[in-house]
Amino acid sequence: MTERKPLKKSTIKMADSSLKIPLGNSEEVKTISIESKENLTMDSIEEQESVAEAKLSQEEHRRQLIEELDQLIENLRILQAEYPPPSNSSKQQSDQKEMRSNQFSPGMSLTVLQRMRNTINEDILDMDTWRGIWYMVNYSLESQRDLLRRRMAGDYQVDEWGYDEEVLQTVAPFFTFMYKTYWRIQTNGMEKIPGEGRTLLVCNHSGQLPWDGAMLGTAIYNEHPNQRLVRTLLASWFPTLPFFSMMFTKLGQVLATEENGIRLLEQEQLVSVFPEGIKGVSKTYWDRYRLARFGRGGFVRMALKTSTPMIPVSIVGAEETYISLFKVPIIAKMIGFPFFPISITWPWTGPFGFVPIPTKWYIDFGDPIPTVEYGPGAENNLVLVSQLTDQVRNVVQDMIWSRLVKRKSVIYG
Amino acid sequence: MADKKVILVTGVSDYWGTNIASRLLEKFESLEEQDYSVIGLDSEPPSVEIKGLDFIQADIRNPLLVDLLKSEHVNTLCHLAFLESVRNSEAAFDYNVMGTMKLLGACSEAGVRKVILKSSTSVYGAYPTNPAFITEEHPVQGSRDYGYNRNLVEIEAFCNGFRRQVPEMILTILRFVNIVGPKADTPMTRFLKEPFAPVLIGFDPLMQMVHELDVLDALLFAIQNDVPGAYNYAADGILPLSRVIALAGKIPFPVFHPFAYLGVGITQNMRFPTTKYWPIELDFLRYSCVVDTQKMHNELSISPRYTAEEALREFAGDQRLRRYMPERSALAYDEERLRDTMERRKRVREQALDENHL
Repeated sequence: MTERKPLKKSTIKMADSSLKIPLGNSEEVKTISIESKENLTMDSIEEQESVAEAKLSQEEHRRQLIEELDQLIENLRILQAEYPPPSNSSKQQSDQKEMRSNQFSPGMSLTVLQRMRNTINEDILDMDTWRGIWYMVNYSLESQRDLLRRRMAGDYQVDEWGYDEEVLQTVAPFFTFMYKTYWRIQTNGMEKIPGEGRTLLVCNHSGQLPWDGAMLGTAIYNEHPNQRLVRTLLASWFPTLPFFSMMFTKLGQVLATEENGIRLLEQEQLVSVFPEGIKGVSKTYWDRYRLARFGRGGFVRMALKTSTPMIPVSIVGAEETYISLFKVPIIAKMIGFPFFPISITWPWTGPFGFVPIPTKWYIDFGDPIPTVEYGPGAENNLVLVSQLTDQVRNVVQDMIWSRLVKRKSVIYG
Repeated sequence: MADKKVILVTGVSDYWGTNIASRLLEKFESLEEQDYSVIGLDSEPPSVEIKGLDFIQADIRNPLLVDLLKSEHVNTLCHLAFLESVRNSEAAFDYNVMGTMKLLGACSEAGVRKVILKSSTSVYGAYPTNPAFITEEHPVQGSRDYGYNRNLVEIEAFCNGFRRQVPEMILTILRFVNIVGPKADTPMTRFLKEPFAPVLIGFDPLMQMVHELDVLDALLFAIQNDVPGAYNYAADGILPLSRVIALAGKIPFPVFHPFAYLGVGITQNMRFPTTKYWPIELDFLRYSCVVDTQKMHNELSISPRYTAEEALREFAGDQRLRRYMPERSALAYDEERLRDTMERRKRVREQALDENHL
């Protein structure tokens, strides 16, 4: 196979590590398997000669595992010649780590840790490790260069709403950081969102900047088994802002008009609405968690027209990200903003006024409210529309209160 | 006499008129139809000779046009005469808007059965409140900053009323999205012909494209079939502006939008090259104006052959080639003319031969 003949020690060690170290990410897997693949023939020859039978079965088992892994990686590489396979979702990784550490007693896990540390130290002295790292770096550099070249040549696709998946994947780490580390968001009832099909999420809006919409999208993108893309319907003010308009379109967000909403739902998409709109997002600290009027019921008409179930969503914690003391309508009118808040940090500290407070957030999904039983033409029934609007509003408000009952601290949850 | 197809094409000296007239003639010839005639109308004769075209030199605002339409028994009119000027010039307004109004009036007077107008989807205007897909029923409320767009909006507004006044006439309005192609001269091609494409910082609107040949096909289809009403006409594919520029091989030149608006506002009506670089209204570089093509697909049995991407790629390829051989278009034109001359001489010779035999 290859002319190089690495030491046997390293072979076994690599095999060891591939079994014992919880695999960090796919790139690690790749490095290990590349090296172990080269040593495979050596293994099989020496096994036949010297290793005892009991050990043989173990070796055999191990070899099979490595072979399988190699096969998988080889298949992946054939399928996607240019790109590294996507990394495991971080949720899976952390779950795996937790599960493993629970299985060991404290003393044992210390030993495991010690052994892991030893292998790492030895690895640094090993040429193969460095070759692996070089391979990794080279690989990622090449894919970056390729991405850049394709973007420059215009060789990419967007869907008819302007959603660009590559842009989403580029900014996703930032939002995931805000989601996991900064606000430590906890979701409940994610299983109520169906894996596919039209669904309308109805949420409360708060927090001066639309972080809550971004976090709802991040939550479902990260935690939902189908990684569904949330299409948030946004206020017509955002498209007039530079950068915001561009980013929102590329991330698959759509202007809030009834035509757009109906079209999205008919395409079986997951749509989220914030019916409170600007009134909700501009709430001062004194009005926090008290829902504003739920628009003109446009979202209910959308749901009735397309027979879409509505899922009420409450987001708790976003209200305290900025502490808005009062609003100054005169300045807002002068600079053409829908509102201008005065918070404890804005506008006194300049750009630092945009830094949100790291509160603990909870996103709760309620039980779906079906609309299919009202039949066609129900969207023209004004009484029904206003009733349903109030019903959804009350459900969301109740969900917020029941979460606030359980919340002990704003920062620690 | 009633069955005879008499088609009048206005603006026959321009790119669109010339091509429509010659394609119509070609088509009729290939179908071996006898009763047809294509009349071309313009204030100047076409620069390329069109075989079989009955050219009449006149202005579309001429009051005697009614008599011409009557005496020639015109039953289909394809109105392509349009002065495209960025400046809000009174002359262009008079020619475009008043000309169209007078022409349509003459048509209703002379009992012309069908009128086809070429319009643009820019009449809807680019606004942040636009729905993501604009249908034909959307009000025509485009901005009136740029001359050509203002004229189109005026014409469309007039047509709305005209359609109600003269319900028996088949009035087809084809609203095309940005037209690109190697030969046509449109605001979009002018925007993409400069090496730098000035864009607005932080805005990347969605755009649609259609190839020039598809435009001609659509116009021909409307001439040959009865499709009353307004139609959006766009090729498949919706591209962000950044991708349009990348596909055309241009370098984006970002400008902060308040400055751009200020600059265009001040210099628009002066002889200053700002609008040379911004032949497209700034709003269209800021907000998306994407139209719904459902009606086109359902009711017209013709759809564009080129996708937006293919159209742009072809345009870019031609631009690249033009760098190395600027005489290319002139050469093609020369060739055409030589072929015509040869054919004409052959005809003359044959005639002389026939006469000799007699």
